[in-house]
Amino acid sequence: MPQRLIFGLASVLALLALYTVAATAYGRPGVLPPTTALATTFASLVTGRAPAAGAGHPHPADHLGFLLHEQATLPGALAVSTGRVLFGVGVGGALGVLLGFAMGWRPALDAYLHPVYVLVRSIPPLALITYLMLWLGHGEAHLLVPVVYAVLTTVVIPTYHGTRDVADVYVRAARALGAGPGLLLSRVVLPAVSPAMLSGLRYAVVVAWMTTVGAEMLMAGDGVGRLVVGGGLWSSRHTVGVDPAVVIVAIVALATVGWLMDRAARAAANRLTAWTRGRPRW
Amino acid sequence: MVRRAVVSFAVLALVYGLVAELAGPLLPRRIWQGTHYVEDVELLPRYASLAEEAVFLVRAEILQGSLVVSGARLLAGVLLGTLAGVALGLAMARARRLEYLAEPWVAFFRFTPAFALLPLYVLWFGAGEASKVLLIATAVAIVTQQGAFDGARAVPPLYLDAAAALGAPPRLVRRRVVLPAALPHLVTSLRIAVALAWVTLVVAEMIAPEMPSLGYLLTLSSVYPRVPSIVIALATIGALVLVSDALVLAAYHRATRWMRRRHDDR
Repeated sequence: MPQRLIFGLASVLALLALYTVAATAYGRPGVLPPTTALATTFASLVTGRAPAAGAGHPHPADHLGFLLHEQATLPGALAVSTGRVLFGVGVGGALGVLLGFAMGWRPALDAYLHPVYVLVRSIPPLALITYLMLWLGHGEAHLLVPVVYAVLTTVVIPTYHGTRDVADVYVRAARALGAGPGLLLSRVVLPAVSPAMLSGLRYAVVVAWMTTVGAEMLMAGDGVGRLVVGGGLWSSRHTVGVDPAVVIVAIVALATVGWLMDRAARAAANRLTAWTRGRPRW
Repeated sequence: MVRRAVVSFAVLALVYGLVAELAGPLLPRRIWQGTHYVEDVELLPRYASLAEEAVFLVRAEILQGSLVVSGARLLAGVLLGTLAGVALGLAMARARRLEYLAEPWVAFFRFTPAFALLPLYVLWFGAGEASKVLLIATAVAIVTQQGAFDGARAVPPLYLDAAAALGAPPRLVRRRVVLPAALPHLVTSLRIAVALAWVTLVVAEMIAPEMPSLGYLLTLSSVYPRVPSIVIALATIGALVLVSDALVLAAYHRATRWMRRRHDDR
């Protein structure tokens, strides 16, 4: 384990040093921003104040300036996007679990619904966004629907397989021992499905982040996706020159938040499915 | 099974047709688009207008052109990404030090939504073909790396012991034992990667549009808005996703024919 940690840290530090040297040698902050520019951009995106004159940010970034003028800060944008992700995972996850459960439980329903599901799943959620806008107008709803849709289609399959394949043996045993439908559902089926379902939800969090950022890049007036492009496609489309420093800072923030959410989801899943690994013997 | 699938598709198609015919005229044709009204929008296009639009798109060679351009981009991106991802995954599975070195960066890219890289790629590689293909390749490489790594690590030790006991040289072991045994994991990840590649492609084409392409067709037809075109573009993309998934699966079944036991042949 220590070797793993040392090598990982060394690799991160080495690549950062290499990047600093390369960016400084290249000398075009508009293409490859030096590390100091990343730091000042990060600072001003967090505080919402423009970098002090001569603070090592030689590129008077209109991208950054535009964001600051709009009072868009990194924590604010992250909060908005996280809210959308959580909404998508909550609503889409619940619907997807219900659908997957129903399809796994009733073979007849599966035979009719599965082909339709495969058909629907094939349409990328973000491709729907332009059509949804015609129906729902330009608001929050048409950003959230693709996220819900993406999570739903992701969660269905693991839940379905969990219900259909894993639970069957237990179900027959429980029935043979005389368990009624209520007991069967709460004490046998749900616990048996939960490992597959939770791993599906973990993947759904990644998918939800992806869809949220994509939707925000295309349409939103706020959120991290909007931070990255500096304007929505349909909202106020300013021809903002992209400042790579802002994009890199936003990407690092996205990766960090995504990683943290995945860690939390994994910890929760491990806790909830601790029974699968058996009880310690001592 | 097949009969029920046909029944449910038929019911779906019939219900849509009826709803479009009956409820279509009741829906508003004047729509507020954020800054202005647009007139004469058919929110639920009838089959007649869909057919008319499809004929127009094919006659004007818009649909075929978009198909070829987007398909070529996808293929290039998937090939490039799979090569890079599989090479990295296998190397990481073999060399522990390399695994530790690459681990933080692989994790970093796994939690980075690929679209967010697009502005950077456009800046670095230009707005043309290269940035889109590389974006798809990045998305594909992250997923296939995971598949190749998991697959190569999950090779049963029994196989390796048997190969060693029979005196197989390492090269032969890698080619004839590790690679085939890693294939199931790899293909599972490739199926996810191809679906992801389509999403990435369409969004990249919507954000940095360029005629002709499927993403641009979607964008353009929703600016006017021309709903039948949107629906046809969506259906085309969906069909392509289905076809590419079926192709990956078919290739997989061909490549693993040797693995199947008799009771699997149904």
